[in-house]
Amino acid sequence: MRALIDLIVQNKHWFVFLLLEVTSLVFLFSYNGYQRSVYFTTANDVVGSTYNVISGITSYLHLQEANYELEATNEELRKEVYEMRQQLEAIQQDSMKRLPALPLKYDVVPAQIVNMTLHKSSNFITINKGEADGIRPEMGVICSRGVVGIVYMTSRHYSIVMPLLNVNSKISCRLRGSDYFGSLVWQRGYADIAYVTSVPRHAPVKEKTIVETNGYSDIFPPGLPIGVVQRVGDSPDGMSYFLRVKLFTNFSTLREVSVITNYHSPERRMLEEMAQDPARQDSVLNSQEKQKELEDKKRKDAEEKEEKEQLELERIKQQLEREHSSSIAVPLNENKVSTDTVR
Amino acid sequence: MRFFRLIILIVLQVLVFNHIHLFGYITPLVIGYMVVCFHRNTSRTAILVWGFVTGLLFDIFSNTAGMAAAACTLVAMIQPYWLNMLAPRDSAEDLTPSFATLGFWNYIFYVILLMFVLHGCFYLLDAFTLSDWRLTLLSIVGGFLLTTLIIVLIELLIRAQKNTTPHL
Repeated sequence: MRALIDLIVQNKHWFVFLLLEVTSLVFLFSYNGYQRSVYFTTANDVVGSTYNVISGITSYLHLQEANYELEATNEELRKEVYEMRQQLEAIQQDSMKRLPALPLKYDVVPAQIVNMTLHKSSNFITINKGEADGIRPEMGVICSRGVVGIVYMTSRHYSIVMPLLNVNSKISCRLRGSDYFGSLVWQRGYADIAYVTSVPRHAPVKEKTIVETNGYSDIFPPGLPIGVVQRVGDSPDGMSYFLRVKLFTNFSTLREVSVITNYHSPERRMLEEMAQDPARQDSVLNSQEKQKELEDKKRKDAEEKEEKEQLELERIKQQLEREHSSSIAVPLNENKVSTDTVR
Repeated sequence: MRFFRLIILIVLQVLVFNHIHLFGYITPLVIGYMVVCFHRNTSRTAILVWGFVTGLLFDIFSNTAGMAAAACTLVAMIQPYWLNMLAPRDSAEDLTPSFATLGFWNYIFYVILLMFVLHGCFYLLDAFTLSDWRLTLLSIVGGFLLTTLIIVLIELLIRAQKNTTPHL
């Protein structure tokens, strides 16, 4: 017994060695349970907080890399925001949420501007919606901020809009808060300034009054904002005011517009035209049959007129596009076709 | 003294050497220097315990549960015998292994074997999960050579600080 104890004491390091090795191997091979291993891994508090301090220091070494990554992410997000904002704007334009004061009595067709001039005296805008989308000449065109212009002529998939920025444009308008009306005209020069003529001198006009559509023409519903009075002046003949108006629509950044499609009332137009024509007036008064004939005739006329307008449109489009061949986003295919037909 | 050496070695290992992955696989286990330094008539049990603690601390910081502890204990077991074999006959009883006491090549030989055992044991235990033997071999050979180099450099650095030039 004594000899055994001596043996153990003399060779105790062997037993310690075996004990420690077995302990190590037990650690190693029982490492699969999370509960048992948590105290001997980086998951325990002391080690964890040590690594926390270490990473706090070493993270400075990777700042440059982190910056690059952040910048890349930023760029991506910025792009995304831009796209989303565009989508949002398109949606808002659709439902006219930007103009909450207006009654939603009319339907709109959203369209994108594909070509536009700003600095000539007869400026035109080409949009990418046409007859196939229900757009007809003399429909009103608006954007999220206000009035843009009136559809001038249409083809199957494109339309030309006469914007406010055209010396031939004349839109009847009124001053918000009063019923005095005038016509909005434009003079060549600034792309954000128009003028209101023939407001009677006795009308109370102040600066910063908002100019809006008056609904007399059946192109725009009443109350659509056009601009704000910037300066009150006198017309050359001294009989009326000549108001300088800052337009709400920013034409130089305009991209998305909406065309008002169902406010247009053919019945009303017909009635007015008949009222102006004494012969028709007679016929309307004399017999209903005659009226029907006249209506048929009128429809034919209208069709003829439409055909004529289409031809005219083609011609003007060619002309415009030739003139603005350097301008952006001309519908290339059409351009090619039209030049081919010219040859 | 041993305690501070242990702390310094663990910190160095965890902060610096664990992040070295030479050729993708070779990571030096500089904690082996802990065992290398024990002088000749240190209690064998003490060496074993110190070795085990060193390995265990490394394991805790590296999530290698028991692998380094087993390897370091094995190295601590053979260190006294190996040192006895390499020590000159007429040397002091409490000989501290260094260039001065063992001679340049003998000391490197001494370190190389211990490191070979350390890395061999560590990576073979590791290979229970890794099946690619070539990878294990690369880790072992590369690891013990690199660690030997580092330990030699440390030793030279310490001796240079103490203004004792090693016997070459």
